[in-house]
Amino acid sequence: MKVFGWRRRLTPFDRKLTAILAICVFISFLLPLRQGIGARVLVERDGKVIYTADLDHDQQVELQGPLGVTVLQIEDHAARVISSPCPQKICIGLGKAKHSGDLLACVPNRLVIRIEGDEEKERGYDLLSR
Amino acid sequence: MFGRQWVTLLLVLIAALLWWRLPPGEQQLSRTALVMGTLVEIKAFGDDEEQLDSAISKAFAEMTRLEALLSSHQPKSEISRLSNSADEFVASPETIELISLGRKIAERSNGAFDMTLGALKKLWAIESENPQVPSEEQIAVALQGVGPEALQLDGNRVRKKLPGLQVDLGGIAKGYAVDRALALLRAAGITSASVNAGGDIALLGDHDGRPWRIGIQHPRKSGELLAALELSDRAVVSSGDYERFFEQDGIRYHHIFDPRSGQPARLCQSVTVVAADAASADALATAAFVLGPEEGLQLLEQLPDVEGLIIANNGKEWQTSGLPQSQ
Amino acid sequence: MTSSAVDPVALEQTRQRVFMALFIALAVALHTFEALLPNPLPWFRIGLANIMALTALFIYGVQALWIVNMARILVGSLLLGNLFSPAFLLSFSGGLLATLLMGLSFRLFRPKIGPVGVSLCGAVGHIGGQMLIAWLLIVRHPSIWMMLPFFLLFALISGMLNGLVADYLLEALSGHPAFGRLRTMFAKQG
Repeated sequence: MKVFGWRRRLTPFDRKLTAILAICVFISFLLPLRQGIGARVLVERDGKVIYTADLDHDQQVELQGPLGVTVLQIEDHAARVISSPCPQKICIGLGKAKHSGDLLACVPNRLVIRIEGDEEKERGYDLLSR
Repeated sequence: MFGRQWVTLLLVLIAALLWWRLPPGEQQLSRTALVMGTLVEIKAFGDDEEQLDSAISKAFAEMTRLEALLSSHQPKSEISRLSNSADEFVASPETIELISLGRKIAERSNGAFDMTLGALKKLWAIESENPQVPSEEQIAVALQGVGPEALQLDGNRVRKKLPGLQVDLGGIAKGYAVDRALALLRAAGITSASVNAGGDIALLGDHDGRPWRIGIQHPRKSGELLAALELSDRAVVSSGDYERFFEQDGIRYHHIFDPRSGQPARLCQSVTVVAADAASADALATAAFVLGPEEGLQLLEQLPDVEGLIIANNGKEWQTSGLPQSQ
Repeated sequence: MTSSAVDPVALEQTRQRVFMALFIALAVALHTFEALLPNPLPWFRIGLANIMALTALFIYGVQALWIVNMARILVGSLLLGNLFSPAFLLSFSGGLLATLLMGLSFRLFRPKIGPVGVSLCGAVGHIGGQMLIAWLLIVRHPSIWMMLPFFLLFALISGMLNGLVADYLLEALSGHPAFGRLRTMFAKQG
């Protein structure tokens, strides 16, 4: 590694600094920084994401579909549909979505609601038969 | 000393960075679409994302095509035209294959599964904005001529026993479309994938080295699991009274009808069937739901390669002997 | 009038102004050049312009460092047309904290610290400032901390790279008659 004689260009103090930073980098890779990342809710219509939000903040969102407004409620780190203009209200009956990979849909109003992130928290199954 | 070991450490760190950023080997691609009147999610594992993406697109396109062929809600579909025709009807190979499979299950279940309930379903109109409880006379008219023998197959022709019979493949078409989508993924060289059409699931291979874990929805407690199954290369379909229903005078009227009474079947809350293909699982789940826990379980136990889990109307669990539970 | 009549202090001041202008111009050029490079990861910037700031620091001191970096960020953003945009805020906050840390480390540890050490401090300050502003203004989502290890590693690499180039530049410049002070500096070290 003497191509540019680069080690000569570091003072002993620089070397210590480099070593400290390298150790910091190494430690930071081992830190469980991925934990505690709140999951997000995404809403898609016709394959396009029309809304995203943190599950951390409680709120109600009005989502516009071809039939009208579907209201999505975010509460206690979970998302659920609380009102919808569709005839059968299956989307309301689907209940809460809170784990990464959970899906809700209002088929008549063309809305797909999904939860992303929070992959460390296993939901115990890959797919749900309902 | 800032020696060679530090250079090594740095290289190790860079290697660690690359290793973290790129998931080793396989990656998962998951896409959703609204097809067959439900939310369909296709997941596939593989090395080549473009290959996965194009295979999933093809699978969705196939499901859309089958929907246009088999839906009884689309007036120009082959099934709608079959319902409206009085004579022999020349059908596509897909429709013939599906009706042939459906007839076997209809016979096997003594008519508990029925593909000719189109008129009855229209009468109840559960899937519309204004469902209603019809009168006994109306139901009797709608049930005229239904049964396993109502549809006869002759080569590529379908013959209805009565000209007015309305065909509805609701209890089998979704499963069939799921199977076809999965077959396309397999044909594209994918060895690990799943197709989930609103709970009708077909699995190809395993989940990246371990079995797929399939949660079964509890029929009464939303968001809770009844069981978790570990499966590979199987299909799972659940039918329940909680999916589509309306309530009138405190009575829940749901979408799974008993062909014998013309009323929603009352003996079960939900039935989950595991089989080699989703079309059979779909039809068998409907049949077992109509038959009730005792007869339904008997039906499922008789069939090779089929397992099931039935929740009776009192909440009691009935399951076949070989159900691969993971709990 | 001949040049021999010029006051040597005034000459040195003029020289410094000319070279400072040159450093700023080069810093702006590097800043712009780096923005033009194809970059799949918008958050990772090598910070090539910091080479000029480092050089100015080691020749003219902490004040020169501040002038080069602040002028570079303002003029560079003006040139790129993103002045006061979110990208500018990120760049500015990163630059501010980087300059602060570089100046501090230079003040505190000179002459033990060399260009590489100061550059590393600057790189760490840069990501620190960026993440702070990103956290406060833009994402406000804990997932940005997930990126911290990658940022730190990138700071290590880019800081080292910039420091080495700056050191090489300083050595080359020390041979120039305009930088008498540098010669003595390198002589002391050598």
